[in-house]
Order: sequence, then C-alpha cells, then structure tokens
Amino acid sequence: MYRYDEFDHGFVKARTEEFRDQVERRVAGQLNEDQFRPLRLMNGLYLQLHAYMLRVAIPYGTLSATQMRRLAHIARTYDRGYGHFTTRQNIQFNWPRLKDVPAILDELAGVEMHAIQTSGNCIRNVTTDAFAGAAADEVIDPRPVAEIIRQWSSVHPEFTYLPRKFKIAITGAPNDRAAVKFHDIGLMASANAQGEIGWAVHVGGGMGRTPMIGKLINGFVPHADLLAYLESILRVYNRYGRRDNKYKARVKILVHEEGLDAIRDQVEAEFEAARGGVLTLPQTELDRIAAYFVPPEFAEVATEFDLEVERRRDPAFARFVENNSFPHRQPGYASVTVSLKPVGGAPGDASAEQMDVLADLAKKYSFGELRVSHEQNIVLPHVAISDLRDLHAGLVAAGLATGNIGSITDMIACPGLDYCALANARSIPVAQELSRRFADPARQKQIGPLKIKISGCINACGHHHVGHIGILGVEKKGTELYQITIGGDATEQASIGTILGPGLSAEQVPGAVETLVDTYLLARASPEESFIAAHRRLGDAPFKEALYGSR
Amino acid sequence: MKAELDIVTANELLSGAVVYLGRDGALHAGLAAARLFGPDKTAERDALIAKARASGRIVGIETEKVAVEAGGVLPQRLRERIRANGPTAPYGPERQDLGAPHVSL
Repeated sequence: MYRYDEFDHGFVKARTEEFRDQVERRVAGQLNEDQFRPLRLMNGLYLQLHAYMLRVAIPYGTLSATQMRRLAHIARTYDRGYGHFTTRQNIQFNWPRLKDVPAILDELAGVEMHAIQTSGNCIRNVTTDAFAGAAADEVIDPRPVAEIIRQWSSVHPEFTYLPRKFKIAITGAPNDRAAVKFHDIGLMASANAQGEIGWAVHVGGGMGRTPMIGKLINGFVPHADLLAYLESILRVYNRYGRRDNKYKARVKILVHEEGLDAIRDQVEAEFEAARGGVLTLPQTELDRIAAYFVPPEFAEVATEFDLEVERRRDPAFARFVENNSFPHRQPGYASVTVSLKPVGGAPGDASAEQMDVLADLAKKYSFGELRVSHEQNIVLPHVAISDLRDLHAGLVAAGLATGNIGSITDMIACPGLDYCALANARSIPVAQELSRRFADPARQKQIGPLKIKISGCINACGHHHVGHIGILGVEKKGTELYQITIGGDATEQASIGTILGPGLSAEQVPGAVETLVDTYLLARASPEESFIAAHRRLGDAPFKEALYGSR
Repeated sequence: MKAELDIVTANELLSGAVVYLGRDGALHAGLAAARLFGPDKTAERDALIAKARASGRIVGIETEKVAVEAGGVLPQRLRERIRANGPTAPYGPERQDLGAPHVSL
C-alpha cells in the first residue's frame, strides 16, 4: 500500500488544523452557516436529517488492517458504534458531533487517511476494482495509477471549483468490476500489439437523473501520457461545462450536447500542448509509486481444494467458498469477499466490533490488506486457500459469513430517507424486506447471479440504473413509491435499465421482484442462462407483461 | 376536521440534532414542545424564524406542515416524521441527543 511521505503528513495535518480553527470560529459565532458550509463540505462534513455525516475517503477502496481498526475506534468513540460503507468505496459516519470532527480528522491523519474531496465540485476519490492487484484476469494492477491520479487531483488548483463533481474510475482488467462506464472518466487497461500497456478512456458516463454510458474518447492512451490526457479532459470540461444549471453541469451533459467528436477535438488540442510536459510520468516516478504495491510474499501453499467434499461436510462453508471467493493470480490463493448483506441487515453497514474482526482477520489471513468494494462489501484480497476454513470460522463468529456474493440478496442500497437529506423514499427497509423474502440459500442458488440496486432518489447513489433489477424510490403526494427498472448492467457490457411501469408501494415491491424472478425462471433457456442474459434475449416485454399485465 | 398548522424546525449547531421552536420561544428537542402556527400567525412565525436565523446558532431552519390529531402533532411529510422519530432502519430509531454543553438552546 502507498505510505504517506513527509509532504503528505504535513499537508493532511495542516488541513486538520485549519478545519479545527474553522470549527472553533463557527462555534464562537465568527462564521455563519453560509460561510461555514462550503468549508465543512470541503472536509467531507455534511448535515443530514438527524445529525452531521462525515464521509471519509478510502483511496481506491484500499485499507490496511491498522486503518480498519482506526475506523472501528472512531465508530465506537465518536459515533454510534457502526459505519456505512458506500458505493464510492468510502465510509460514512452518521452521527458525529461538530466539535468532535477535528479530533476524528486527527485520528484519521494518524493512519494516513482524511475526508478531503469527499464532497464539493472537485475530483472525488478515485475508485477501482476491489480485486486490484490480485485478480487473475488483470492486465495491470491499477492501484499505482489510481494513487498517481489521487496525488495529481488532490487540491489541484485548477480543478477545485469545477462546474460539478467529477468521478474517475479505473480498472486493470477486461472484466469491469468498477463500473467505469458510469463515471465522468472511466479508464480500462489494455495492451497494444507491441505488448505496451495503455488506457481506453471513456468520458461522460454517469447515473443520476440523466443516466449515460461513457463514450470512448480514446482507445489507447500510453501509460506515460495518462495524466496529461486526464488534465486535457478536465481543462475542456472546466472551460465549457455549464455553470448555470447544476442539473446540466456534469461532463456527461457537455459530451452529450456538444457531441463526442467536438469534445475529442478540444481534448486532443489540449493534449498536444500538454503531452511531453511536466505531466509526463517519468519511469523512475512510476517505479517509485509501483514499489508501494508490490505483491506480498506469497507462501508455497496447497492448491487442492475439494469443494464437493466441503459441500457434504459443511454446506454453509461450501456456499461461502463457492460464492464469496474469487480467482487469484497466485496459485493457492483466493480473494474473499465478506458480505455486508446479512439477512435483514442494512447493506454496507458494519459495527465497530465487526470492523475490528475484519482487521484481525486481514492481518492473520490477508497480509493486513482489505478493500471496500463498490458493491458495499469488504474484500480480503490475498487469502491462502488452505486458510479459508479458519477464516470462515472467524467470520461466522462475527456474523460476517453470509455466503451470498453476487446473489439476489447481495443488494446495493443507499441510506435513503432514513438518513439522507436528499432522499425521497426509504431504501434500507426495502432491502431488508427483500433479503428476508429471498433468504433461502437454495432459492438464491436456483436464481443464480442477479443484482438488485436500490436508490432513494434520482441521484442514484444506490446505482438503480445499472441493477439487473433496479428500484428507485420516489415521492408522490406524500407517499413513497418505487419504480422498477430492468436490464441495467454496470459491467463492460454496460446498459441502463428501463422503467417497467407505474410506481409501486413499498409493500408491493417484494412481490413485484418475485414476479420478475419467476418470469425469468420460467423463461430462461437453461439454468446456466443468467437473469441479465435472459433479459438481453427476451427484452422487457415478458417482464412488463408479468408485472403490469397488458396495460 | 384536522387542523393544518406550521411548526418551525432546524438542526442544532453542535450535535446536528433535530430541534423545534417551542411555545416558550426557545428551541426544544421534542416535537411535542413545538409551537403551532396557524395561518393568522404567519408574520409572527416569520419574525421568529428571522430571529433564529440571525442568531447563527442553528442550521437548516424550515417550516413544516403538521396536523393535530387526537391531541398529538403529526408532521405531514414522511421525511419530517422520520426526523422526529429517528431512522426506521437498523441501528434506529434513536435520535441524536443534544448533549451538553451546546450553544443553541
């Protein structure tokens, strides 16, 4: 993992002291709320329905055991004993007190973390594949590039007041597990005919009220030129992005309205001026950053693992291995996803005790490394297959052994109207009810991979647009209603779900999902045809008919 | 017939907790203490809001519609009912406590 150098330490410490002073002046009445609000937002401090909310950046979702333990300590000491892991690979604390926030930032700085640029019209935390540096299908480990982008974008003087927020996602694998086509910029590694690594750059993707799939603006930007190319896009966006209407201010609108070719011409002109300059990454600097991400010293371990035997011996463990382990590039190892989606739970929530357990298990079984996935789970990236049983036992004891990754109960849900000041409807109770409805592991296995994503408003923090089944909470005449979408996909086969019909009440949602699932089970060509594959073959019609009849 | 009235609500500066402008002119944590403003009290309500806002000690001051039913005060919007009672999700339904000392009340 990257370690702060002297500059990083000094910078984060200075920002914390600056915010401490700003809080003191606010409390003393020297700053009013209009003056203070942009200052607190720059440090990740929101005001939600019930209390302040602190959003802490987890750079590209990567955490050490020490950092996870510190998050547990913060949850226990300054909050209510839990935290919420988000689709942006961050963590949110829902109940901090204003006067405690400088102390929390001190605690974070002590483990090389902060909350800078988790709000505001700036470049936000870069996100990536939760299996980065471990996945067997990876072309390149994206973390060093993500770290370079983090350093470049942190308090970038030119891009601190963009027309709107700006999100960059990066994946080093051809199988997109970072939803890169739904970000302002999405980067996907590829190798050219000479075997050189470069980046396919997608621009103008996003969700929210105007969902769009990112468009390929350049199929191969050489590794060394990547920063210059990113800066070129940001410059064009900063110059031409709309500032008169926040709903039309994202780069996706600019690309849509001006056309990709026009934007590409502008970017290429900027790039011609920028490439070869100070933003060109010298190999020594690439090597210096990459050195922080060298693979751990893997042991020679047994690679034999008889799932059939395990299935007979301990079905829950076998299910856990089958669903929650992911192929590792190192023989004898696997990446393990720890589900934060227990039956009846709030997706993404973890108690302080669970965070401590995760830190302990990461230290014991995963070289002290953890990741936060954009699907609101925790990944232990490097687990010896021979340790899986012991790891599973540790997770069982902490209520963290749900073997449901990729299944219908592995839902994304935003905090919704239970916490969020922007929400129109609740998300968490809908997710809870669905997870109870589909709790039976045998039924989950019968259904196979199916991603449900739930948002409590059109801002789409719960990624409903890319759910195989998406659920969007709206408010109509004081009542919560839920629109059902179908056919969304966040992977490299990106698609945006279509709305099937009028909104349903919360009570009707589980039944509606049952109907869609039953329609799929009846119509699928074989048990191997997944829900999304069946939808691609069949289209919306049979699902719409099943849910709404012929109206 | 239900009477539809206004209350004045905000978040307390230090804790962020939900507070209500009370009948005594102070801010209170509980909805039950909220002062109810009828249509004939709009000017007085707005003057109190302006005064509260000018104090700079509370955040996000808003008026909300409530109904008085069986002696109880019921916010008309679900959002406000959740603000009054706390999250309906796990780890709820506790509300933020104001704590002490605080600067707003």
